[in-house]
Amino acid sequence: MNSVLKGTSYVLVHAPDMLVHAGTTQTTERIVNPSSEYLKELPKHLRSFEDAVAYLPNQVYIGNKIPADMSDAGETWYDKPIAKAQRSGKFGEIMSQAEFYMLMYACDAFDLVMLEAKFVSEAKLHFKERAQNEVMSIFDENLCVRDYEGVALSEIENAVKNEQAEGLYHNGKLIGCVKKAHDIDTNLSAGIILENLVSKTSCTLALLHLVKTAGIDKSSIDLVLDCSEEAVGDMNQRGGGNLAKAAAESAGFINASGADIRAFCAAPVHAMIHAAALVASGTHENVVVAAGGSIAKLGMNAKDHIKKGVPVLEDVIGGFAALISANDGISPEILSAYTGKHNVGTGSSPQAVITSLITDPLDKLGIKIADIDKYSVEMQNPDITKPAGAGDVPLANYKMIAALGVKRGEMERTDIDGFTQKHGMPGWAPTQGHIPSGVPYMGFARDDIMSGRIKRSMIVGKGSLFLGRMTNLFDGASFIMQKNDELNAKKKMGKQALKETGAAEKVSIILTGIGSEHGEENMIQGAAMAAARGINVLYAGTKTTDDVTTLRAKDDKKAHEVMERLLKNGEADAAVTMHYNFPIGVSTVGRVVTPALGKAMYIATTTGTSSTNRVEGMVINAIYGIITAKACGVKAPTVGILNVDGARQAEMTLRTLQESGYDIKLASSKRADGGCIFRGNDMLAGECDVLVTDPLTGNILMKTLSSFTTGGSYEALGWGYGPGVGKGWDKLILILSRASGAPVVANAIEFAAQLVRGDFKKVAAAEFSALGQIKVQDILSAARSKETEKDTAKETGGALKVPQKEPVTAEISGIEITDLDDAVAVLWREDIYAQSGMGCTGPVVLVNEGKLKQAEGILAKKKFILQVDD
Amino acid sequence: MDLENQKRVKEFAEKFGAENVIVVFGAAEGEAAGLAAETVTLGDPTYAGPLTGVSLGLEVYHICEDAIKDEVDAGVYDDQISMMEMVLDVEDIVKEMDAIRSQL
Repeated sequence: MNSVLKGTSYVLVHAPDMLVHAGTTQTTERIVNPSSEYLKELPKHLRSFEDAVAYLPNQVYIGNKIPADMSDAGETWYDKPIAKAQRSGKFGEIMSQAEFYMLMYACDAFDLVMLEAKFVSEAKLHFKERAQNEVMSIFDENLCVRDYEGVALSEIENAVKNEQAEGLYHNGKLIGCVKKAHDIDTNLSAGIILENLVSKTSCTLALLHLVKTAGIDKSSIDLVLDCSEEAVGDMNQRGGGNLAKAAAESAGFINASGADIRAFCAAPVHAMIHAAALVASGTHENVVVAAGGSIAKLGMNAKDHIKKGVPVLEDVIGGFAALISANDGISPEILSAYTGKHNVGTGSSPQAVITSLITDPLDKLGIKIADIDKYSVEMQNPDITKPAGAGDVPLANYKMIAALGVKRGEMERTDIDGFTQKHGMPGWAPTQGHIPSGVPYMGFARDDIMSGRIKRSMIVGKGSLFLGRMTNLFDGASFIMQKNDELNAKKKMGKQALKETGAAEKVSIILTGIGSEHGEENMIQGAAMAAARGINVLYAGTKTTDDVTTLRAKDDKKAHEVMERLLKNGEADAAVTMHYNFPIGVSTVGRVVTPALGKAMYIATTTGTSSTNRVEGMVINAIYGIITAKACGVKAPTVGILNVDGARQAEMTLRTLQESGYDIKLASSKRADGGCIFRGNDMLAGECDVLVTDPLTGNILMKTLSSFTTGGSYEALGWGYGPGVGKGWDKLILILSRASGAPVVANAIEFAAQLVRGDFKKVAAAEFSALGQIKVQDILSAARSKETEKDTAKETGGALKVPQKEPVTAEISGIEITDLDDAVAVLWREDIYAQSGMGCTGPVVLVNEGKLKQAEGILAKKKFILQVDD
Repeated sequence: MDLENQKRVKEFAEKFGAENVIVVFGAAEGEAAGLAAETVTLGDPTYAGPLTGVSLGLEVYHICEDAIKDEVDAGVYDDQISMMEMVLDVEDIVKEMDAIRSQL
């Protein structure tokens, strides 16, 4: 069952002084050109906290405004401040720099942060205000900063000047520092510690908001996955990590573990896919994907912004968190089986990338580009990227998706603009690498899907791996979120709940369509006929039709992969296919229309092998036939045995089972001699519910009875070769012939649905369990040892002394044709003269009238015939 | 233009001779294509990278320009580029590239 997106949180931290002192554009400039005009100009172009709060994209990020508000506001937003903007929103908050420094102090586990006493006493007032605000009252004892008094400024100045500490500034003044964590190790330098601590602290802030927005108990979180871009570790394990666990600790998630997922900007989507799979598989119930922001990227494009007269907009650190939980039947589902990924061999051309990330998963799901209502791509804010010469990133992505749609013939070239408006959004995320990467829309997507505004959304993340100089490959991943499928939730509630709600369960059957001798058209036609009978038909192949969901598969192998996947993840209840390699022990029970009265009859069995021993196989086939008939609603199926080699012994074994307590109802032949051994007449008349035979004969019967009206090549009648049955076999797979026509295809799907509704697996288990009470193995091995005796008799037959010849006129019937010579040999050994012959009902052994009783007794004892009643 | 890329272009020009190197761009819009072309011809206009004050004067084209497009196998072009060509403002890109070339 799919996992769901239970909640999200989004936070921003206004950090203008960190931008000046720690953003890499600025630190690089200070090295390359320390007296540059740019560094002098920069402070004049910074925004105040109020300006950052009033900035529309930031208001969208924390959920006070929606993406559509941005489209309404025009091309640029920095010049259109929002009146009375709030710093707290439904997804989180915009935190001030002073508060963030305090939070950094609280999140520092190694006494590396020092803050100045005066600054601390002022900042504490902010926290008093926060406590009054419902959204922002997120801190508990774990993050209590009440007891911290701060240190003297001189101590901080000394650390920065003499001990390589990294200064913390507020309103341009030094108010604190982060100390280095090691004397020599550059990976624990003050700058790196600051970078990592900023990420940890902003991640913690997102986690704390998530507890509130998702309404969840902190102790119920099992795992946190951090997907930021920071490398935590010392010189021996640079990037060793577990920022996730560090932030989970700060947030007080006592029952959570953590792990980091790194994949540049694509990491959030990779992490979401991981989390969804961990929950769907049942490994965990509640997994959080979270990331703090990047101090290095602050003011990355500030030079261009200043040059173009735009305020320095990259002044906020971003963070987000998402809770992925077990299916609650309400929240949007994350489709774990339909994710997109960029493979090593995919190539880097935009066309190949968009195909792998967008249309590959859509093809798998059998939907078109326009069936995704909203795409969330790199949601970079164009207010920031356009002045920097990087264009409008989301728009470029939407155009590429649309252009691929044009190439695939799903839309016209003139539709591109309309598509980008309808299925796209303007970008609102700060340029913090992983932060814009698909995930900013998840909160809105959850709202939009649950309110019914949209049905599905695709979240796409991309990453530029060349930046790390290990590969020139590009990376990306995508997943689909969609409206919760209530059917699945109902299945989980179980049949009892279904009864209570009175809802009828719609059965889903997957049909593989490639390989038919009558072409794919024939198969899809059968699928459509079955769909019209109220069955949810899924089709693996290349054809499409109304009311049937096609899951694109270009060949038979792919179609089988789709089938297996759907059966495995429970999206299909049963499968209908043209071939399947069942293991020994599994064979299929077909269903035919008997011509005399049009009555249905089960043929056990039609393909596969129940046992390598013929008689044992026929006995087992009888049980498989009974299971199938019962699951289809035949309460006490009557069993006839087709008069083929092994029939008599199978009958004897079944009668022994019956005597031992197995409830089996043997049918009666309409022919004069009665009994449960059926000949061709009884078969055509359908005198039993289950006709037992060996699978090769059963297969011939299926083909004959399905195609005798069409001349042979087109099987037009019946329900096909039926489900594979076997002890311990738990897949419901029904077999068709490559010659099966559309009516049989439709019937087979209906047969499958009938078995699902009749709880086939439960019926099978009950039947095997009833047999389990009986010493079945002993009875079957008795049947086998009789065969061994036959062999021994054959071997010694030549050496036997022939008794004195005498007139033989008494007939003993009911002996297998293949057993006939052995029966004669057995009697000779007992000094009774006997001859074999053919009576009017079948083979007979002829003996003297006077020795009939004795001979019958001997043959019954040796299990050649049934016990003769006196 | 990425500083590392500037360095590599510079090294190639030194190794093979500027007259033997052609730079083909894939930038998604005119301004970015123009800036990159300017960097490898006249020098880094941002004064940040190894090509600051270095005029390599390399021959420059965008992949969507006919001169390069005609050199590429049509099937490969269709597979790799045609989708992007559909969404790019090729005219603007060509204009920017022409402007840079005219200064050489």
